Amino acid sequence: MTIEVQGVRRAFGDVLAVDSISLTAAPGEVTALIGPNGSGKTTLLLMLATLLVPDQGAIRIDGLDPVTQPTEVRARIGWMPDGFGTWDALTVREVLHTVAAAYRIPPDRARARTQELLATVHLEDLGDRRARVLSRGQKQRLGLARALINDPSVLLLDEPASGLDPRSRIELRDVLRALAAQGKTVLVSSHILTELQEVADRAVIVARGRSLQTQRLDDDFVSTGTASWRIDSLDLSRLTDWLADHHVPARRVGGGLTEVEVSGEENAARLLADVVRDGIRVTTFAPSQGALETAYLAATEDRR
Amino acid sequence: MSWDGMMTVATLELRQRVRTSKWPIVLAVWVAIIALVAFLSYWATNDADLRSGESMYDIVIFFVLGLAMLIVPSLTATSVNGDREHGVLATLQTTLLTHWDIVMGKLVAAWVISMTFLVTAMPFMAWAWFEGGVRGDKIALSVVVLMLVLAVVCALGLMFSTLTARPIASAVLTYLTMGALVFGTTIGFALSAFLVTGEEKIQVFGIPDNWYETHQPPAVDPADPTLTPEQIDQLNKAGQPTPADCTTFTRTVTLAHTERIWWMLPLNPFVVVADAAPSEPRKRGDQYSSGFTPLRWISLGARSARNGPSAQATDECAMLTNTGDTGFTDPSENALKTAPVWPYGLAFLLVAGSGAAVVAGRRLRTPIRRLPNGTRIA
Ligand SMILES: Nc1ncnc2c1ncn2[C@@H]1O[C@H](COP(=O)(O)OP(=O)(O)OP(=O)(O)O)[C@@H](O)[C@H]1O
Ligand SMILES: [Mg+2]
Repeated sequence: MTIEVQGVRRAFGDVLAVDSISLTAAPGEVTALIGPNGSGKTTLLLMLATLLVPDQGAIRIDGLDPVTQPTEVRARIGWMPDGFGTWDALTVREVLHTVAAAYRIPPDRARARTQELLATVHLEDLGDRRARVLSRGQKQRLGLARALINDPSVLLLDEPASGLDPRSRIELRDVLRALAAQGKTVLVSSHILTELQEVADRAVIVARGRSLQTQRLDDDFVSTGTASWRIDSLDLSRLTDWLADHHVPARRVGGGLTEVEVSGEENAARLLADVVRDGIRVTTFAPSQGALETAYLAATEDRR
Repeated sequence: MSWDGMMTVATLELRQRVRTSKWPIVLAVWVAIIALVAFLSYWATNDADLRSGESMYDIVIFFVLGLAMLIVPSLTATSVNGDREHGVLATLQTTLLTHWDIVMGKLVAAWVISMTFLVTAMPFMAWAWFEGGVRGDKIALSVVVLMLVLAVVCALGLMFSTLTARPIASAVLTYLTMGALVFGTTIGFALSAFLVTGEEKIQVFGIPDNWYETHQPPAVDPADPTLTPEQIDQLNKAGQPTPADCTTFTRTVTLAHTERIWWMLPLNPFVVVADAAPSEPRKRGDQYSSGFTPLRWISLGARSARNGPSAQATDECAMLTNTGDTGFTDPSENALKTAPVWPYGLAFLLVAGSGAAVVAGRRLRTPIRRLPNGTRIA
């Protein structure tokens, strides 16, 4: 159920939406797709979802080509679009029943599955409400349920966390982890990097339609990757001098805070110990950017 | 394409329509208008001699078609691009439904709704039938033809909704097409009529045109009291041609060869429906009492246009030899006895409708290679 994308390119008229993206998403893993606005993430997901033909390059989902075997691919994927629309007049339950029918799921199984998914996304008590009156976050959760209705082995989620409240985000994270644990391939685009760092196994960074790098997000990366830490101190000038003396890259940010770049948690702990040992009174020492965020900013710096 | 897939889409569409829009109101207005028309035509044509069945039937069918042509395009004209705007089309396209499922499902749903309009007009047609003068099989035929014509209208609207990005554009295009079919064909026919109209020499057997000039009655006052009755009789006859005066000669006349351009007429849905169901003229004593029967007039006009001016040498002498009007038949009634034109029109409309459905299906095929400018899939 691997997703393989090789040098895919897609233009709309003279707008080059995707220039050259290559990535691999493995089963049992959550792969994150991150990149600035307009970098071609949605376009790539449309091509994976059998809606758009790539101009160049090859896509394989479980070894199948979405262009020549769309039906087989569709049976295996669940796609959640970013732009949200639902049929105005249908209730939440009916939306799911309709999509189930479109997947040729027999009515009794569709009902059972709907009930199950409504519980998963916590929409049980809204099941008989019109879908159009749902709030944005509730619609988003309905969209997730809709993408899961055919029990797909490949999930393509376009910004699933946008509009979700903090608790729902944590729950979404758990849902994604659970799906990956079942051996499904999950490809998710998102802008919430701190969030992704906790759920994703890999991150593919794209900018201007090109895939720049693939970053593994295991414990190693977190403990060794370069991250920014914020220090607040009662002795601001002494701290500044100390950092300069010890050649630690630092910069002043608002509110009297200092930000330092440290690679790895090990080094961060040592830095804090040294600063405190030298009598500088530290009140705050906290990561300001995750490792993923730092990697993302570094990769896309010249491509804003 | 599968039955289940098609029904899934059709059910979805129907549910959406029934719940969201003002169709109940539109339907109520529709019934009110048709009822009003039926009552008015009943009163207007209800006199002792002339039973109003045919007129009622003609008027009701005419309005049913006319109003349906206004309402039905709106069922499909924004169907696909509207869904795209609401972001719900792609959700269906990524399921196991094929593009044909989606197109046919939408078509069936729209057609079912247009059928409810037709069904609610049925009681008034039944009323016309009870009034008498219309044959049941004629009613059945015209209803079947109406159903097919409405299906074609649905298909045309659906096609335009897949061709343009904006719902407003496809709605305009659909109504323009309806206008072209209804008015365009008529205007086209009228305007091109002069192209086929010209002076022609035809053979005539009859009294030469100059007969009256050469046979001036003698300049005698018929009131002259000196004349005997025989002489007066002779004088009168001298001014009147007899069959013996008939000869064959050529005359230059202006003829419109509408048989070359008649094909424009049956493209018009009104002509198709009218010609499929002309009410029978009924003879009352010696007189044809036709009453107000617009469908029959349309049918008659279309068939006469198809027949064109008669080609044989005209025999004007017959009028002289025959006493009374036994041999004389109304040429328009003769036209109604010739072959109908609606099969051509219906065939054309059905081909156009199927073509439209095929175009719509192709436009919904995914994955998409070329996306219309300015549209996003999701
Ligand atoms: N149908 C289209 N026609 C023309 N240009 C398009 C079309 N779809 C996308 N684009 C352009 O292609 C580029 C990539 O768009 P895309 O939606 O894939 O970005 P994205 O990475 O999903 O951005 P975001 O993070 O804001 O969701 C953008 O510059 C966009 O304007
Ligand atoms: Mg996007």
